[in-house]
Amino acid sequence: MSLLPQFLIDSILLGGLYTLMAIGFALAFGVTRIINFAHGEFIMLGAYAAFWLFTGWGLDPLAVMPAVIVLGFACGWLLFKAFIERVLTAPNINQILLTFAIGLVIQHIAVILWSGNSRSTTPEYALKALTIGDAFIPYGRLIGCGVAVLLVAMLIAWLKWAEDGRAVRAVAQNSDAATLMGINVKGIYALSFALSSALGVATGVVVSFIITVTPFMGFPMLVKAVAIVIVAGMGSIVGMVVGAFVLAFAETGFAYYVAEGSGWAEGVAFVLITAILIIRPYGLFGDAEA
Amino acid sequence: MRPELFLRWAGFVLAIAVLAVPFIGSPSLADLTFRTCTLAIIAISWNMMAGAGLISLGHSGFWGVGSYVAILCANHFGIPFLPSLVFGMLGGAVIGAGLALITGRLRGIYFAVATLAMSEGLRVIAVMLPDLTGGAQGAYLNSALFPGALAVNIAASFGAVVTACLSWYIGRTRYHYAFRAMRANERASQMLGIHPMLYRVSIVIVSGAMASYAGAVSVWYGGYLDPGVAFNLHITLMAQIAPILGGIYTLTGPILGTLAAAGLGEVTRQWLGHVEGVSLLVFGVTLAICVLYLPKGIQGGVDRLFRSVAKAPPADDSTPTRTTR
Amino acid sequence: MTELLSLSNIRAGYGESVVLQDLSLVVREGEMVCLIGANGSGKTTTTRVLTGLLKPWGGQVAFAGTPIDNIAANHRVELGVSLAPEGRQVFPNLTVNENLLLGSYSRRARPQRKRTLAEVYELFPILASRRTQKAGLMSGGEQQMLAIGRALMARPKLLVLDEPSLGLAPKIVLDVYRAIVRTAEQGVSILFVEQNVRAALSIAHRGYVLANGRIAFAGSAAELRNSKLVQEAFLAPRRTNQGPAPVKVSPISTQREGGFG
Repeated sequence: MSLLPQFLIDSILLGGLYTLMAIGFALAFGVTRIINFAHGEFIMLGAYAAFWLFTGWGLDPLAVMPAVIVLGFACGWLLFKAFIERVLTAPNINQILLTFAIGLVIQHIAVILWSGNSRSTTPEYALKALTIGDAFIPYGRLIGCGVAVLLVAMLIAWLKWAEDGRAVRAVAQNSDAATLMGINVKGIYALSFALSSALGVATGVVVSFIITVTPFMGFPMLVKAVAIVIVAGMGSIVGMVVGAFVLAFAETGFAYYVAEGSGWAEGVAFVLITAILIIRPYGLFGDAEA
Repeated sequence: MRPELFLRWAGFVLAIAVLAVPFIGSPSLADLTFRTCTLAIIAISWNMMAGAGLISLGHSGFWGVGSYVAILCANHFGIPFLPSLVFGMLGGAVIGAGLALITGRLRGIYFAVATLAMSEGLRVIAVMLPDLTGGAQGAYLNSALFPGALAVNIAASFGAVVTACLSWYIGRTRYHYAFRAMRANERASQMLGIHPMLYRVSIVIVSGAMASYAGAVSVWYGGYLDPGVAFNLHITLMAQIAPILGGIYTLTGPILGTLAAAGLGEVTRQWLGHVEGVSLLVFGVTLAICVLYLPKGIQGGVDRLFRSVAKAPPADDSTPTRTTR
Repeated sequence: MTELLSLSNIRAGYGESVVLQDLSLVVREGEMVCLIGANGSGKTTTTRVLTGLLKPWGGQVAFAGTPIDNIAANHRVELGVSLAPEGRQVFPNLTVNENLLLGSYSRRARPQRKRTLAEVYELFPILASRRTQKAGLMSGGEQQMLAIGRALMARPKLLVLDEPSLGLAPKIVLDVYRAIVRTAEQGVSILFVEQNVRAALSIAHRGYVLANGRIAFAGSAAELRNSKLVQEAFLAPRRTNQGPAPVKVSPISTQREGGFG
């Protein structure tokens, strides 16, 4: 039996998820130029929200997603207003250390509240799978990928056609010129950061029924998101999608075709970052100015 | 007494004390001193890189490499304590050289990301090569080679003193100005006749070797290693927090910060040590508060105090975050 | 004519370097005023101060009779001040149409967006034909037209143009100036910064000469043309070729007299 169909299916399903993860992360970065090292923790919080609502009240993760997204948006907005806004013009080092510290705080609040134990959310569809010929498609992953693609499409449409979406793109490209259009740049920063957080928790809800939920799950996801953004360069959504699928295919490929590959797959993001930094420091799709 | 003179004496006394503790201190004091010294080493190491405009989020990578090289030397080749520390440092230097060469001219965010990726990548390698590293289960150090707690404690104290002296020495040479220029603007420093790449590679090598030394000593102290211990994010955080708390870009800052952080760590451990995760929470909050409200750290506060005593006109640190750019 | 914009005793700069020492100028309703000066004399700083991008150290900015010093840059757009900045600063990855739509982001302009858009496309037909092109891929002249069009989308009372002719071929300068004149005729007051003094004085009603952060000379366009200061500092190199003043009236100003629209 050939591994190929299964490999392709897994890669594509994973790529969809990674796209959501990376675009959520890149939105805040691209607009505010502050890299949010706490983004992974938002993913973790989203996953816990889904887990607790499922185990506590038996609510389906997909059903609670809109509410969780709204909550994530609010948290992101508050976080920006309370902390991030103060370092907008500070040196890089302050910005990096601040978001890094915030991530750590969130992570360890989670450890204290919910312990370091692994948990998993198990709605019915997470346990079933569809078989087509030799290939095996877990419903959980299929639904997760579908939701991710839907959210990304909604974001792209919003950026393309909505008044504020257009303003977000304008601010990302030239914040001074955007001010001259009458755009409240700080407001757009806050909006992007909040939306980025909302997408982060949405990513968390989706992965809650695909992988195990722990307080430490955010950090590896952050590294992956960073790898994708490094591959893509900033500001290119197409690049981000390509980057997400490159990472997904590379990781899945390792898992399928290399001995003990699933362990090595965790390091693919690292190799990708290193390779891109050597070949093209500003990403395959970015330019030096971005 | 003039501040510089006072500082020099204080430093001298501190160094003597640190070197004496392994001989005369109680076991618990020696333990505290050991941990403070390794913290001081990585703090100074981190601060050196930051001083050249290189923000590291991967100091645990250097630490872990030092640990693994030391344990490999001991377990696979029967190399004793002191030479294994040298090999550990060499390991850190090699990783540092690789990092500096790979990241080329990358600055700021991109360099930070690369360091983060480096430490994660090294962790994966450690997990995936169990024959060499003991894999995820970890490995115990060959106890036959253990040189005794005294030797390990002295090595840590000695390392901290040497590191501090080295950092003091660099601060007094022309390198200091070169790094400051690089921090401000690498391209401009090139025009001043400074070869940034050369300085950059050398600073990352030295800094990496220091952090690896601390890691190597620690593995001898603890006697056990697994990837989670070796590449713990906690190490990176502590390496950052001490300089930030004490006063970044200064010589005394990381040392002051180390003492403060060690004190904070002890207090947290005594009061809330039973709650999992609480110490990192406290350190995370401290780091955030420092970045937001105390960007020049304790050193900045002390300087202000000295100036107000000397009745000097208020200096230009009203917007410290901008002037350091 | 009532005063639309007045800058009084403005002092401004960056970090520790002073750019504007003590600058005062006035633009009245319906006027076309040019601000000329050498490189580094503070022209762009003036535009940044009056649009609010740069906070001055001292002095007062008033618009339509009210002080606006404490009004943020993005809110000044709502009052009717619009800038086509130095170096055009179009949004390179957005299409021409999107750039223009952003121009009418302000609440002041949004309700009339459709009409304004049609007007701008009529003023700059080339933009209409490039509607879906990315702004960054256009020529310098087209980008300049886009920058002006984008500023007009806000339906300003005062349009500020920073070096609209910089780096453009003479024929394109002519097109751009024609559009500026037409805009002025529709009742928009215009303040424009120029190094191309000859061209600027051919369309402006009045002008100010900026030197070392102060107004060195002010007067009508004719007065400026005939002033020794302007002649020596800005018009001198060519004067030998063209003979003494009066300076030949350029074709642009004839077109203006001929009346457009």
